Amino acid sequence: MASDKTAVSRRSFLHRSAVAAAATAGTGSALLSSGNYAFAQGSDTLKVGVVGCGGRGSGAASNILEADPATQIVAIGDAFEDRAKGCRDSLTKQKPDRVKLPDDRVFVGLDAYKKVIDSGVDIVILATPPGFRPLHLKAAVDAGKHVFVEKPVGVDPAGIRSVFESADRAKQKNLAIVAGTQRRHENRYRETIKRIHDGAIGDIVGAQCYWNQGGLWMHKRKPEWSDAEWQIRNWLYFTWLSGDHIVEQHVHNIDVINWAMNAHPVKALGMGGRQVRTDPAYGHIFDHFTIEFEYPNGMKMLSMCRQIDGTASRVGESLVGTKGTSNAASNIKDAKGQTIYRFEGSNPNPYVQEHVNMIASIRAGKPLNEGRQVAESTLTAIMGRLSAYTGQEVTWDQMLAMPIDIVPAKVELGPLPVAPVPVPGRTKLEDFIARTA
Amino acid sequence: MKVRRLTHLGLLVAIGLILSRAATGQTPAAGAAAAMKPFTEKIPGSLVTFDMVPVPAPPGGRPFYIAKTETTWDAYDIFAFRLDLTQEQGANVDATSRPSKPYGAPDRGFGHKGYPAGSIPHQAAEAYCAWLSQKTGKKYRLPTEAEWEWVATAGKPAAAAPLAKADLDKAAWYWDTTEEKTMAVGTKTPNAWGVHDMLGNVAEWVTVGQGKPPVVKGGSFLDKAKDLYPKARLPYQPAWQESDAQNPKSKWWYADGPQVGFRVVCEM
Repeated sequence: MASDKTAVSRRSFLHRSAVAAAATAGTGSALLSSGNYAFAQGSDTLKVGVVGCGGRGSGAASNILEADPATQIVAIGDAFEDRAKGCRDSLTKQKPDRVKLPDDRVFVGLDAYKKVIDSGVDIVILATPPGFRPLHLKAAVDAGKHVFVEKPVGVDPAGIRSVFESADRAKQKNLAIVAGTQRRHENRYRETIKRIHDGAIGDIVGAQCYWNQGGLWMHKRKPEWSDAEWQIRNWLYFTWLSGDHIVEQHVHNIDVINWAMNAHPVKALGMGGRQVRTDPAYGHIFDHFTIEFEYPNGMKMLSMCRQIDGTASRVGESLVGTKGTSNAASNIKDAKGQTIYRFEGSNPNPYVQEHVNMIASIRAGKPLNEGRQVAESTLTAIMGRLSAYTGQEVTWDQMLAMPIDIVPAKVELGPLPVAPVPVPGRTKLEDFIARTA
Repeated sequence: MKVRRLTHLGLLVAIGLILSRAATGQTPAAGAAAAMKPFTEKIPGSLVTFDMVPVPAPPGGRPFYIAKTETTWDAYDIFAFRLDLTQEQGANVDATSRPSKPYGAPDRGFGHKGYPAGSIPHQAAEAYCAWLSQKTGKKYRLPTEAEWEWVATAGKPAAAAPLAKADLDKAAWYWDTTEEKTMAVGTKTPNAWGVHDMLGNVAEWVTVGQGKPPVVKGGSFLDKAKDLYPKARLPYQPAWQESDAQNPKSKWWYADGPQVGFRVVCEM
C-alpha cells in the first residue's frame, strides 16, 4: 500500500521534473536570440570577480582558473583588508598571468561586493559568510552577472525567498547561477542517482543523511575588533551569518536526498542542543541536531549532524528503496544486499567541474540555473534548524509564509549583541521575526 | 567534568612517562639481532598499545622492528587531537608540530577503533613518528622502501611476485574483499613474519632516499588485485586533496586520500 502511494507520488515528481526541464529548455532557446551571452563565445576572456576572500573564496577562484584557460580574476572584495590582500597574494602566486589585481581592483569593506560587481566582470563568485548571500546574489543578478554561489545560499526564510526571486529573475535574464553543492557535479553521484531515478532501488521509502565530525577553527577575539568584526571573522558560530552548522555543512547531504527524491520535505520534527561547545567564543549555535524530515509522499528522512570533538564521525547519505538500497554516491545493492552497481569511472574534481559546467553552459547560451534547487535545500536545513530551536514541528508552508529574518537590517562594523541560545519549548518561531518587519 | 578528566589525563601522562623510562632498559634491548624479541609499545599517558615485530637485517642493513599492523586511529588520535595534553596546552601547541582540526571526517565513517588511520600526508606521518619517538624515548620512523619490501616479501624481495587470488583474498583488504572502505587492522592472515596488511587496507608511506619524493606502498582497499604487490608504489597524487575546497589546502589531512596511511618501524 505504501509503495502504491509512493509510486504515484514518484511519478508525479518525475512528471514535475520533466516539466521543469522542458520549461528550462524553452526559456533558454527563447532567449538564445537575445544575445545576452555574447562575451562567452569560444575562447573569449571571462572576467571573474570574487566576493569573500576566505579559504573558500580563494579556493573557488583557483578552481575557476583551473576550469577554463580563458578565465581571469580581475576584482576581489572582502570585509577585511588582510583577507583581501592575502587572497590577492596567494592567487597571484598561483597564476600570475591570469590574476590582474592592482590595488584599485582589491576592494575592502562591507560594501566591497557592489564594487566588485560594478567592475566590469562577467562572472561573480559569491563566497562570503552565507548571511550576506541573498543580498549579494540579488545585486549580482540585478547587474546582469553570471554567478557562482557558494552554499548555503542564506540563513533564514526571508533570505531564501529573496534567492527564489533572484533565481527566477536570472532565468528571465538568461544568467547562470551555479551553486557550490558540488556533489551535483560529481560523476560518482550523478551516475548513481541517475540509476536511482531510473528505478534501480524501486521507490524510495526511507533515507538517512549525516555530517558528524569534530569541531572546526575559531579565531580568538582581538581587543581591536568590534562585536561585528569578531562575529564576521568567526562567522561559523553565529546563526545570522552561517545558519548554524546544520545549514552551513549538512546542507550538502540534505541536498543529495532532495536530489534523489526530486522534491523537498514538507515538514520537519527535530531536536538539538548546545551541550559541549558552550564557550561564548563559539557564539550561540548548537553543536548537534537530529531531524526527521517528511517528504510529500510521506517518505521520512533522518538527518543527523554534530560538531563535537572526540565523537564518532560520519559524513554521507543512504537511501532505502522498495527494491534495494544505495549510498547515493557509488554503490547500489538489491533487496538481498547483493551489490548490483559499483561506480568505477573517473571522478574529476567536483570543485573544478562545477565551474567547467557553468562556463560550458554560458558558452552554449543555455546557462545553468541551480538557484532554486540550492535554495530549496538550504531552506530544508533552515526548517530543520528552526524545528530543533523551537522544539516544534515546523512546516514548509510556514517557511514560505512567515517573515522570519535574522540578519540585521544594516550591518556595520560596530556594536552587535549576540542573540541568546535558543531553548526548545520556550523559543518560538515568532522570536526570529525581524523587529523591523 | 571535562576539567577533572583532563587533570586525570595529565596525571596519566606523568605516570606513563615514568613507566616508559623504567621500561626503556628492557625493550628493545640494544643487542644482537638474534636477541630481538617482539615487544608491545604502550603510548605513555594512554591505554593504547601496538605490537612491534623483530625483522632480520636486510642485505647491507641492520635489523629493526616493524609494527605488526598499520598505525591505527587509536594511536593517531592521541597525536592528532592532542589527547595527551590539557585543553590549555593543546590550544597553545606549535601549529607546525600537530595536525589542525580536520574538515569533515578523515575516517570517512569506515570504522575508527582498531581501524587504520587514513587521509594522512607524508609530513603528518613523519610528525607522528617524531612525536612517538619523543613520547617513548625510542627511535620511531617510517620504513624505507627497501625495508618495507623486505618485510612485505618476508625476506625475498627479488622473488616478489603478485599473490595468487586465493592467497590475496586471505591476506588483503582490497576491491574484491571490502566495499570501498578500510577494515580493522590485523584481521586478515599475516605474512610469514607475522605482519598484517602489508598489501591493501591503507597504502603505506615509506621514505625513498635523499632528495627523492616519498611513495606509498602496497596498494589499498580501493585497488584491484593487479595493483596489489610488494613492488607497487605511488608518489603523492594531487588527486588526494583535489576536493580540499580551501586555499591553501590542508597540510595535515587529505580530503580525498582515505586510503593513505602508514606503519612505523623502530630502530634498535
